Amino acid sequence: MSDLVVATLVAFVLLTALTTALFRDVLSAIIVFAAYSLGMALLYTYLLAPDVGLTEAAIGAGVTTILLLLTIAKTVRPSTDALFERIDVPALVVVGAFALVLGVLALPEMPAIGSEQAPVWANPDVTQYYLENTYDETGVTNTVAAVLAAYRGFDTFGEAVVVFGAAVAVMVVLHREAFT
Amino acid sequence: MSRNDEETYVESQVIMSTVKIVTPFVLTYGLFITFHGADAPGGGFQGGAVIGTVILMIAFAFGIEPTRQWLDNRVVVGLIAGGVAAFGLIGLVSMARGGAFLEYRLLPIHHPVKYGIEGVEILGIAAIVSGAVIALFFVMGAGFATSAIVEGDSETAVDGGERE
Repeated sequence: MSDLVVATLVAFVLLTALTTALFRDVLSAIIVFAAYSLGMALLYTYLLAPDVGLTEAAIGAGVTTILLLLTIAKTVRPSTDALFERIDVPALVVVGAFALVLGVLALPEMPAIGSEQAPVWANPDVTQYYLENTYDETGVTNTVAAVLAAYRGFDTFGEAVVVFGAAVAVMVVLHREAFT
Repeated sequence: MSRNDEETYVESQVIMSTVKIVTPFVLTYGLFITFHGADAPGGGFQGGAVIGTVILMIAFAFGIEPTRQWLDNRVVVGLIAGGVAAFGLIGLVSMARGGAFLEYRLLPIHHPVKYGIEGVEILGIAAIVSGAVIALFFVMGAGFATSAIVEGDSETAVDGGERE
């Protein structure tokens, strides 16, 4: 049952990713891309990563879609005589070879979901330490939040500054001095 | 409100009513995710994004340009820069008290580690992300500013986009 759900979600994600690349109409591509993000969010949630799934739903399916829609509203729409983009054969060969190498060499090496041989369980020192000591040391029950804000707080500060820098960079690129 | 040819905004009664009803719930949900980030899935990043979406919804219902004029620039800048400053200050307080950066247990408050993490998530990350979402939306909605372009080719500056 769970295999069926995961297989359906993966098939949905692959299909929407492929159509995003192939649609010639940008508006259609953006809508399918939002569906792709929604599929990824469901997949993350199903694989017990609700924090990541929530981020994917809010940023990927929500904010990114709106920003992309805003972008095509501000740009000139190309004439769309064909429904799908013509496939670039050399690019397809390169990407296909890359996917083949990944699929044949890398994918079988990955541990199964929930396997005890997965690195995160096979080397339990770090993970187990967080899971066992988070509440005693920080007083919060969400280990992800504790790792983000306490154990890896300095990294998170860097990430926060990156978001700040992104907003400033967009202002610089668009020649603006105020946001509103 | 003057409308020129480029503006495709339509004053839709359906969208405006829907946004009026849905917005408080979305804002509450965003705050909920932010404040419960330490004990449930979610946190400052996700909650901040949902909170920022509230302004995006308002802009879609009432027009991007009126919303831009309604929201003061100082609010957006205050959210982003104030968030970075709050995050950094919380880290620096523990340094000033002889510890490492973000060593929460040295903060002079009740339950320092728990509320330090909450403070960083709410005052820092949520503020930065919600401000950045709003800022990116407004900046991209405005396109290229006419007055700020020094080169003086103003013919495409208003509707933007054709330059690159």
